[in-house]
Amino acid sequence: MRDLFLIFLSAVLVNNFVLTYFLGICPFLGVSSSYEQAVGMGLAVTFVMSLASSICWIFYHLILVKFGLLILEYVVFILVIASLVQIVEMFIRKYSPSLYQSLGIYLPLITTNCAILGLVLFMVIRDYNFIQSVVFGFSSGLGFSLVLVMMAGIREELKFSDIPQILKGASITLITAGILALAFMGFSGLISS
Amino acid sequence: MKNVFKKGLWENHPIFKQLLGMCPTLAVTTSAINGLSMGLAIIFVLNFSSGIVSLIRKFIPPQVRIAVYTIIIATFVTLADLFLKAFFPSISKALGPYVPLIVVNCIILGRAEAFSSKNPPKLALLDSLGVSLGFLWGLVLLGSLRELLGAGTIFGIKVLGDFFEKWVVMVLPAGAFLVLGFLVGVINYIERKRR
Amino acid sequence: MKTLRVVLVLTLVSVFSAGTLSFFELLAEKRIAENEKREIEESIFTIVPQTEKIEEVKDYYKLFDKEGDLLGYIFLAEGQGYQGPVKILFGLKPNLEELLGIEIISHQETPGLGAKIDSGEFKQQFRRLRVLPKIEYLKKKPSLPNQIQAITAATVSSRSVVNILNKKIDQIRKEFKKR
Repeated sequence: MRDLFLIFLSAVLVNNFVLTYFLGICPFLGVSSSYEQAVGMGLAVTFVMSLASSICWIFYHLILVKFGLLILEYVVFILVIASLVQIVEMFIRKYSPSLYQSLGIYLPLITTNCAILGLVLFMVIRDYNFIQSVVFGFSSGLGFSLVLVMMAGIREELKFSDIPQILKGASITLITAGILALAFMGFSGLISS
Repeated sequence: MKNVFKKGLWENHPIFKQLLGMCPTLAVTTSAINGLSMGLAIIFVLNFSSGIVSLIRKFIPPQVRIAVYTIIIATFVTLADLFLKAFFPSISKALGPYVPLIVVNCIILGRAEAFSSKNPPKLALLDSLGVSLGFLWGLVLLGSLRELLGAGTIFGIKVLGDFFEKWVVMVLPAGAFLVLGFLVGVINYIERKRR
Repeated sequence: MKTLRVVLVLTLVSVFSAGTLSFFELLAEKRIAENEKREIEESIFTIVPQTEKIEEVKDYYKLFDKEGDLLGYIFLAEGQGYQGPVKILFGLKPNLEELLGIEIISHQETPGLGAKIDSGEFKQQFRRLRVLPKIEYLKKKPSLPNQIQAITAATVSSRSVVNILNKKIDQIRKEFKKR
């Protein structure tokens, strides 16, 4: 139980996907300009991450390792993720049109979101078991959403502040992210005993 | 013809202008040598996958084009990974999971979708060469700057003397964002001066 | 007809991909295995430079000097660091009471902070370190022969190294006693 909680804390705060591994930066810079979009994207990513970690775990341990096909690791992972996103999209469209309305447009973007593949690769490197992988997937998604929403909040405020002309746009967003990352470094003391 | 090549080097620079491929850009530029190795890996993957996509562009059914591109890209990424492991194990270790992450680098899929799937191999290669070289110099510049500020060295060679108090934060994740943020600002400034 | 074409193209591309990869894997496989072996050997020589002969016993190595005397044993220990698994190669004297030294084979610690566990300064502390009753880490200058100083701002990584070593050494001592 304890190690699961540690994985959770570590993925949400200490080793946040966006701020320490730079995974999922593209949507982070792209959709973090409005609060509502950020919430939608965050939900979609958390959902897909939780699913992807468990399904890729099964593929990795029960197929790739068993049959000695590790060389196909990356090809298989990316295909599993892409098909997963596609299936989730079709499923949501059919059974919950209202959810599709709010999440739908973010789903295709997720396939090329490096956070999902990154998640799966880290899961393999760290040799997590099935339950740990699911927790890791869910909490990484949560961490991603947290930072995305925070960033959106800051950027909405930034619109009204006086920024030097040359730093406007991507530049100030990156600098803000840097300051956020500095602040998050403070959490690194959390897991110390 | 020449224009296609030159675009990726400055005008449409993948890192500083389009802000694509941020994940390797920020993650592996803790030192100049890591930036250089990642840039070379990307040159390999981008050029080969662009060439192949362009060669078979007429046979790919549009519904599954993205799947086909990804398989091709993932194949070359695995090859690059294998090559690094076999010949440069220490670099392979330093780059860690960021080599396989080239698969989802938006620059590569982006070039396949936007350019090489619509153009003959010669043009496609010129385009990918320009973009990947642009990416390379961006990575090396960022890596050198962070190494200089964070460790006082460039490519492991001491540049700043002992008087220099190292800004360790620059090789940490937060420093990546800050350095890139200011660099984008500087590029904006140069661009404005030129106009 | 259309579906057939989609299936055909996808199959062809996958077969091409799997074929190319397995071919190159065959080519690279040997080299990668050699690299790993060479790395272990190089690390052993860094830990114990006077080694002349290495003898591999199932999960550890025995080291001998020029005269054929036993210098010590080399073991590989693995455990959780701050951000991921840490692999440590370490040497023990024949009496199993003192370390010969350590080398970090792989880790995923934060560059600039935790990654310093792979720095000479940190590793040097483990030379001739007593492992009894167990290795301890302090945040200040150590005073006893079984203590090391943790890296500033990277206590977690330092502690992980110490814990991984303690656990493995404990296990080794128990196993060797049985013989």
